[in-house]
Amino acid sequence: MITFDAQTIVYMLEIVVGSLLVSVGVHFVPVGGAPAAMAQATGIGTGTVTLAAGSGLTGLLACGLMMSVTDNIWPILASGAIGSMIMMDATMLTGDFIYSYAVGCPYASAKVNYDPITGFSQPPYVAPGTVGQGIPTVCFVTGTIGALLGGVGGAMIYFPCNMISHNPAQAAVFTIGIFFVHSVIPSWNIQGTIEGFHDPKFKKWPFAYKASLIAGILLAIMTVLIQPLGGA
Amino acid sequence: MSEKPKRFKLEPKQLRIYGIGGAIIGIYLAHFLNAATGTNIFSFIGSLAAIGGVLWGANAIRRICSYGLGTGVPAMGMLALGMATVASLFGLNIAEQFGVGILGPIIALAYSLLFGYVIGILCNKVMHFNIPIMEEGMFDISGAGTLAILGWSITLSGTLSYNMIVKDVYSTGFLAIIFILGGMAIFHPFNANLGPDEKQDRTLVDGIMVAGLAMIALGICSLATLGLSAALVTIVVGFAVWYYDYIWYFRLAKEDAAAVVGTGLLPPSVQ
Repeated sequence: MITFDAQTIVYMLEIVVGSLLVSVGVHFVPVGGAPAAMAQATGIGTGTVTLAAGSGLTGLLACGLMMSVTDNIWPILASGAIGSMIMMDATMLTGDFIYSYAVGCPYASAKVNYDPITGFSQPPYVAPGTVGQGIPTVCFVTGTIGALLGGVGGAMIYFPCNMISHNPAQAAVFTIGIFFVHSVIPSWNIQGTIEGFHDPKFKKWPFAYKASLIAGILLAIMTVLIQPLGGA
Repeated sequence: MSEKPKRFKLEPKQLRIYGIGGAIIGIYLAHFLNAATGTNIFSFIGSLAAIGGVLWGANAIRRICSYGLGTGVPAMGMLALGMATVASLFGLNIAEQFGVGILGPIIALAYSLLFGYVIGILCNKVMHFNIPIMEEGMFDISGAGTLAILGWSITLSGTLSYNMIVKDVYSTGFLAIIFILGGMAIFHPFNANLGPDEKQDRTLVDGIMVAGLAMIALGICSLATLGLSAALVTIVVGFAVWYYDYIWYFRLAKEDAAAVVGTGLLPPSVQ
């Protein structure tokens, strides 16, 4: 029968906090969508969900591997974060190679006049009729922060799922399901594209935060109530 | 190929009733026929039941996404399936914990409908979407995803038992196939047909076509879980569903096209 004790509440809190980290993390990732794929906007040239799936699954693989050798939460969170950061950085780096050597455009952001990190002037390099191209330094940095938050969040969802079900496959599927819900909600909030923390749209994050909080609580209740039954 | 294709037009309410009714009846039919005959060759009915969910979901997606959400249509399908993976297993598990395992799909459906409705309210009230059918649409796609996942899970496990579904569908990792193919069946129809000339029947027939393809793929997967005879039945029925709807879709597309012109053979290469 259903068991509900202090440990269950801790698991629930971990799932909710993980969900919120994923939700906020999406706001940091420079998602460009289809315009970026045509080098007409700044960011990675694909949608939020694809990016979330990519970095989330890599993070999941890394933290699942760590979880097979230890039950300590800290190395699991760290390996999830590093896995997803490596994936995101590799994507942005190869994306930049393509923008630079194949498309032949300079990296520039149209949302700020000066890159907040390098201080380089941006407007002269933005081609007319576009809203920036490539992934400039500030986007690269903010993308890495986003992947860090997403990776920690994903690992924080995976950990309690696996502790409850003792079934890595089931826990992974649950994590992917919860991860997708919390990556779609913020991507609607930012209307599909964002450049990172310097983008004016970033200020809208509290809306997605509130929505993810409620959705995360509902999903966490479902997840912690699923108990392994005998014979599974 | 020249005869006139059948056309239809269904209200969202009608589709909701057909979707829920067809899928629930199909899921239980597959479960009870398998249990009564002691075989698992009726598992293919689960996939046919999932088509009910797919039609319901595909119609909901075409209603919401015609408002334009800023993200692609696939995000919607992934959200539906993300909610559904958790809700479907939750329903089956809770039902067995209370000793009423057979009510699993109903509990899963009820919880997913509630969850979808809450997400819809959050989108409108918290994130200020102001799309009038958002609550209704999220309610629809969440329930549709759950029914589709349950239907396809039965194709792989042959029963509604929680332990068997975890063993055959979740632990083997076949749920990943259900996740992506199910998402494809629900979001692809609108994604492929959207535009000013989008017609409901063409979109929905496309949905059944992709569901047929998913059925073939799951038939191949069920070789590993149910054995040759059940898998072959699923593959053959899936192929029939796909072929029939492919021809139907082809005729619809041809009729809706402004002009159909022959391009002839490939021109000789100019070097």
